[in-house]
Amino acid sequence: MTVHRGAGPPDEYVEAEIQRMLTEDPDVAEQGITVVRRERALVLSGEVESPHRREEILRRVAERFPDVPITSDIGVIRTQAPTQVEELP
Amino acid sequence: MVIRIAAVGDVHLDEDVVGRFRPALEELPEHADALLLAGDLTRHGTESEARCVAQEFGGLGVPVVTVLGNHDHQCDQVPQVVRVLEDAGITVLEGNGVVLECAGGRLGIAGVKGFGGGFAGRCASDFGEPEMKSFVRTTTDSADRLAEALRSLDCDVLVALTHYSPVPDTLAGEPLEIYPFLGAYQLGQAIDSAPTALALHGHAHAGTERGTTPGGVRVRNVAHPVIKQAYSVFHLGDHLDQHQVSRIGSSGMERSWS
Repeated sequence: MTVHRGAGPPDEYVEAEIQRMLTEDPDVAEQGITVVRRERALVLSGEVESPHRREEILRRVAERFPDVPITSDIGVIRTQAPTQVEELP
Repeated sequence: MVIRIAAVGDVHLDEDVVGRFRPALEELPEHADALLLAGDLTRHGTESEARCVAQEFGGLGVPVVTVLGNHDHQCDQVPQVVRVLEDAGITVLEGNGVVLECAGGRLGIAGVKGFGGGFAGRCASDFGEPEMKSFVRTTTDSADRLAEALRSLDCDVLVALTHYSPVPDTLAGEPLEIYPFLGAYQLGQAIDSAPTALALHGHAHAGTERGTTPGGVRVRNVAHPVIKQAYSVFHLGDHLDQHQVSRIGSSGMERSWS
């Protein structure tokens, strides 16, 4: 978990704007990131396809909202071959 | 005889992801007769991203069949994306189907992207402003084309492939408020109008794997963030008398365990 602290409480409209930015910003284009407003920070969670994308999300959000404290819990999705199959009659 | 289907959706390829799936994909022909991709192959639907998809998922040694997702429409380059995928030998379905000759029989796959609208009792209606009517008609047109494609295929095992979900079951984990943007019951109705054995979809990154249509057809959400592996493998066949999970060993299938 990475915590970026800033001044002032997160605002509900900031939360909405971040959610939309994550989808609509062409450098991010992520619809699978959850933005949750907590008492001390805005928490970003979800999974992305590469470490680069995770870094880009944090960079863009911090750049656009420098005063909003952000907690990041974004993972990179595993790509290993399956070890089991599902049999369906 | 068994037909073995590998599937994944929402891989969102761009240059930064190329190569991540390939090691697992190299093993795929040992374990599956075909690979089905449930849309959102790219981030923005550009021709260059489609080339990344072609590089990663092309030349696998088994047929690869896909539908597009909403991300693949973002840059309005669908014809270019489709051409790049088809040049790589990937079959792109939208309101049509394909029948693959597999060792275990003929696998029929009908596909559409699908669209939103929501689920029975809590869905958008073809009423009011032109924008709302256009939204709902996009969904019903898509569902109608899926139904027609499913019923047109002559095969032993029939699979429906969509990006949007046909049922709410596999959305569990997503906020209820966004269900109407994740799928539509009309897709389920289309799936139930044909002897469909399995329905595969993606789009709902925070959803869950398993569900069934009101008509009893198994539905699987194979979005990559949901399955958390390069692809899932499903075995379909009449000989199986109960749901089972089997292990894939280094020398192939090991004994099933339920």
